[in-house]
Order: sequence, then C-alpha cells, then structure tokens
Amino acid sequence: MAQTSSIHYEPVAEIGGGAYGTVYKARNTESGQFVALKSVRVQTDQNGLPISTVREVALLRRLEQFDHPNVVRLMDVCATQRSDQETKVTLVFEHVDQDLKTYLEKAPPAGLSQECIKDMMKQLLCGLVFLHSNCVIHRDLKPENILVTSQGQIKLADFGLARIYSLTLWYRPPEVLLQSSYASPVDVWSTGCIFAEMFRRNRCTNCVPSFPTCLSVIGLPSEEEWPSNVTLSRKTFRPVPPRPITEVVPEIDSQGVQLLLKMLTFDPFERISAVNALEHQYFKDEETATETTK
Amino acid sequence: LIMTLEDDLTTAAATGNAAAVEYLLETGAHVNGLNRFGRTALQVMMMGSLSVAQTLLKHGADPNVRDRSTGATPLHDAVRTGFVDTARLLIEFQADPNLRDNKNLRPIDIAKLGGHEEVFAFLETE
Ligand SMILES: Nc1ncnc2c1ncn2[C@@H]1O[C@H](COP(=O)(O)OP(=O)(O)O)[C@@H](O)[C@H]1O
Ligand SMILES: [Mg+2]
Repeated sequence: MAQTSSIHYEPVAEIGGGAYGTVYKARNTESGQFVALKSVRVQTDQNGLPISTVREVALLRRLEQFDHPNVVRLMDVCATQRSDQETKVTLVFEHVDQDLKTYLEKAPPAGLSQECIKDMMKQLLCGLVFLHSNCVIHRDLKPENILVTSQGQIKLADFGLARIYSLTLWYRPPEVLLQSSYASPVDVWSTGCIFAEMFRRNRCTNCVPSFPTCLSVIGLPSEEEWPSNVTLSRKTFRPVPPRPITEVVPEIDSQGVQLLLKMLTFDPFERISAVNALEHQYFKDEETATETTK
Repeated sequence: LIMTLEDDLTTAAATGNAAAVEYLLETGAHVNGLNRFGRTALQVMMMGSLSVAQTLLKHGADPNVRDRSTGATPLHDAVRTGFVDTARLLIEFQADPNLRDNKNLRPIDIAKLGGHEEVFAFLETE
C-alpha cells in the first residue's frame, strides 16, 4: 500500500475531524484544484499496518475503479510513518464545493421543483445502491455528507472507513455487528428523511430532518413495534398520531407518498431496500408525475 | 496547537455555515485575518455557499486576495468550481476579473479550460 506521491497538496482549512484524525480542504498546487484530505492515525506493529486498514483501503480502491458518478472520487492514498507505533494514512478525495444542506438553503421560497427533487433522489439512490451492492453501509447519510456539484450532480462522501476509524469493531460480537444500526436499512431511513426534507418550503437554516420529525410522518410506533434491545426508550417521545403526509410534505405526488412511507417504515426488516426504491414507480412514469404538478 | 478565532472563521466558511460565520465576525474574528494555513475565510469558503460569501463580503472581506502558492483569487476558484452566482456576487463586491494567477490565467481562461459555459458567458459580459 505504501505509495509515494509526487503531487503536492497544501491544506488551506480544517473542515472536519474527530478522534480518528482530521479532514482538510487542500489544494493541489499544480492543477489548482481543491481536494479533501482525510488523514487517519493508525497503530502499527512489526508487521506494518493492521490488516483491517489494508483491507479497507483496498475496498475503497476497488470501488474507485467503477468510477461511479454518484460517489466522490478517491484520487490518491498516501501512507507516512510517524513513529514505530504510528502511521498516518491520508486519503485524497475530490473536493466538491457545495453540500446538500447549502443547496437546499439556496432553494427558492416556493421550494425545489418536482422534477428536481425526483432527479436528486434518483442520483442519491443510485449512489446508495452502488455502495450497498459492494457491501458498504454509509451509516451517516445527512445533508452535510451529500455533495452537489455546480452542475447538480450528487456525490456521496464520508463512507467506508468504519474499520479504519474504529478498529475496536473487530472485537465486537456478530450479533452486535449485525444489529440494525450496522445494516443497510439505516441508510434507507436516512434517505427517506432527506426525501421529506426536500419537499419542505421556506426552510430555516440549521433545521435538519430528525428522528422526531420523521416520526410525525409515521406516528409514534406502538410498544409492540418498539425494539427491545435499544437504549432509547419509547417514553422519550411524545405519543403522536401520524399526521396526514401531505401536511408534512405538501405537493408530493401519490407515488412519492408511497415511496416515502416505504422508506420510513419503522421495522428495518420491512423497510424497502435501496435497489427496490430506485425501481419504484415514482421514478418511472414521468408523464403522470408532471401532469399532477401542472 | 492553539486555534484562533480566524481558524474557527475559516472552518465555518469552508463548511458553509453562514450562521457561525456571522456569529464569529460579531464576536471579534477579523474578516481578513489569516488562519494557521495563511488563508482568509473568503479564500477557503465553500464556493457554492452564497450566504457565506454574502456575509463575508458585507463585512468587508477583500475579494482580490491571492492564494500565496498559486496566485488564484476567490473569483478564480468560484469559476473553477463552476458557481456562477458566487462569481457574480464577487464581482458586485469589486472583485477584479482581470487579475491573473501564477500561471498567467484570468478567471475567464479558467472557465474556458474547465468547460464551464455559463460562467464563461457571464464573464464575457463583464
Ligand atoms: N470530498 C469532499 N468535498 C467537500 N467537502 C467534504 C468532502 N468530504 C468531506 N467534506 C466535508 O467535511 C466534513 C467532514 O468530513 P467527513 O468526511 O464527513 O468526516 P467526519 O464526519 O468523519 O468528520 C463534511 O461534513 C463535509 O462537509
Ligand atoms: Mg461526516
């Protein structure tokens, strides 16, 4: 994996970070293009990098070969040894200068057009189907991690580094790893929240679609439906009956309502998969969809 | 490592957080102050964020500041990333469309090279 890169990247600002490392906006000083540098500190022993890190990077590189239009490009990987015990792995991603949060804030007061919402959702699901078909669960889909180019192309960022980030995952038992929070339905739920968010008009800055917001679409699930193995108690939430969906998301067409409810299905095993969502009628009959908006 | 208000300001600008940019400017961050990488907020802002650009420019951000390594101005970068509304706003606030970067390129040359037709057409009228 060791790779010496002759390209020079110069950080210009810090844009993210956590216990694992830091994310910088940087510039390729040769091309002038911005990149996102994501560096991760990993512990090394006499065998070099941990196998989990090597696998994770190999996976990202394999994904990159598909050149999928809806995931962010991985341009380079560099490993720098800091000490006997520590190596810094730096992933160089294409930088996109707009995220979905910013894009939605710029929407006119009347909201996004129906065609635009449909196109965005289609691209988002395309990216997600690609990740899921390669056994990558995003786990943190939110407007800040969904990038939108100036040409309106959606690109998913911040995926696939779970094993680099939290090596302790290896020590967790399979029943924990297989728990719903580690499986693909979590991404579909998040996508459903984002779908609902796209229909909102006059949005205030800083409001993000939250679990309670989405609960207003489906209503508070019953005691029986509430999972028993979770720390979040059902009592935390006010018991709300489901609001008419057209009140929460006005202007949505009937196919859209159907798809949204399938994505926001409380039981992860009943929830629609990303691939089936992409096949949904909502994306099919363009004519009926445009007729209803006229 | 000590984080200054300007480090926070550039981070807020680069992540498109206009509310944080506004707040930091009100609490004493210098709009043209350099972060620890030697860049101002306008230089590193999320180019697609019109509200961040607007907030910074209204507070007197210098639109003609050059990147210390490449000589690019914020207008070069708005054009490179294809955001015509940001480019228009920068010019409204006196960004000079004729400045050249270290490769002797003007923003309009970057628009042409990058195939950003809309931005190119706009710059032609300037
Ligand atoms: N390729 C990219 N282009 C532009 N911005 C990015 C890119 N990758 C990440 N970011 C921005 O940086 C922030 C932090 O990066 P992220 O990859 O989400 O790391 P983490 O959430 O693990 O700190 C994101 O919220 C996003 O706004
Ligand atoms: Mg993130």
